[in-house]
Amino acid sequence: MSREPEVSREMQNAFVDGQLDAADWTAMVERMGANEVLRRGVCELRTLKDMVKGAYAGAQPARSGLAPTRWGWARAAALALLFAGAGWLAHAGLETGAGASLLARAGLRGTSGDRILVHVASSRPDVVDPALQEVEDYLHDARAAGRPVKVEIVANSAGLNILRAGSSSYAKRLEQLLSAYPNLTYVACNQTLDRLREKGAVVALLPGVKVAPTALDEIVKRLQEGWVYIRA
Amino acid sequence: MRMRGIFGSTARFRGQVEAQRAPLYRLAYSWCHDAGLADDLVQETLLRALDRAGQLNDPQRLRSWLCAILANCLRDHFRRARPLEPLDEEMAAHGDGPEAASASAQLAHRVRTEIERLPLGQRQVVTLVDLEGFSYAEVGEILEMPVGTVMSRLCRARAALRARLMDFAAGENSKVRSIR
Repeated sequence: MSREPEVSREMQNAFVDGQLDAADWTAMVERMGANEVLRRGVCELRTLKDMVKGAYAGAQPARSGLAPTRWGWARAAALALLFAGAGWLAHAGLETGAGASLLARAGLRGTSGDRILVHVASSRPDVVDPALQEVEDYLHDARAAGRPVKVEIVANSAGLNILRAGSSSYAKRLEQLLSAYPNLTYVACNQTLDRLREKGAVVALLPGVKVAPTALDEIVKRLQEGWVYIRA
Repeated sequence: MRMRGIFGSTARFRGQVEAQRAPLYRLAYSWCHDAGLADDLVQETLLRALDRAGQLNDPQRLRSWLCAILANCLRDHFRRARPLEPLDEEMAAHGDGPEAASASAQLAHRVRTEIERLPLGQRQVVTLVDLEGFSYAEVGEILEMPVGTVMSRLCRARAALRARLMDFAAGENSKVRSIR
């Protein structure tokens, strides 16, 4: 019996590169939940993707203006040393790009369903600010309408920074939201935490933040439970 | 000139273009693995961009436009240097660089070596997607090929890298963990 996953390599690549539309992305995640081989393959693709990115992270041009000068290989090689230890080895989880960025297009209140998972993989204000605003508006409206909803914010990769105690610029707002809405939960990706700790970072999370083995695990679990997935 | 209208002034456009030097260099280096050549290619790209500013209709597409110019510069370079070599053929591997000193640097070096072993067409696709984050459609525009070709080249590139690198990465990862 073949152990090859039933999903094509092209489809797997499109998944990790964020090239699938919302329906295909969701279908892919559901398949991954039931197919260990597929899931492992996707994780390997993500690792590869990050390895490629990391391999050139320190490459810098020798020139800074339009005057022609020429620096040799030794210069480039020395610069390449700068990215040693960048920590991209174990980067196999759900990190960037993939998913349906419905939040930016339609807004949270435009979604159906009463259990919403919001995936945050970036700490950029242009990603986080509208996401938190949408979450707050959604929870506020649901409370006003008497609808029993649940929202879970799952953070990984750079997005995990918003859940870090002592460094998150969103700490106060997240704590206020949590105290105002008990039907809101925050979940941190343990894989990202491990990676940060491997780099020597001391990571403390905001009060009330739960930890999932990986963001992907949490997303797959919630989708199987019927939650709606939205990527910030 | 059209760019004056879009960017406000030629000086501003020049600044916008110059700001792309570092990412363009990284991309060029990933294509040719020669620091001097990468520098030259980027320089030529920026000069061509300044010269052809009027061809950029949408300033939002500056990055992809510059990458397309870079791809053309590389193509021109190979035409001049090795006119009989097809662009999709494997380029000669360079010797080991001196940076292969630590475990993590060794891995980075190994990754670059394996990327360098890919045919240029595959190398360009995988780096445009992974380093620069372009969509498949954008890569197709930059390299002037159908999206289906982008996908198949990407698929072949990653399959090759996967076969050559995953065991190595796992071994190096274990080493790093055990040191800690």
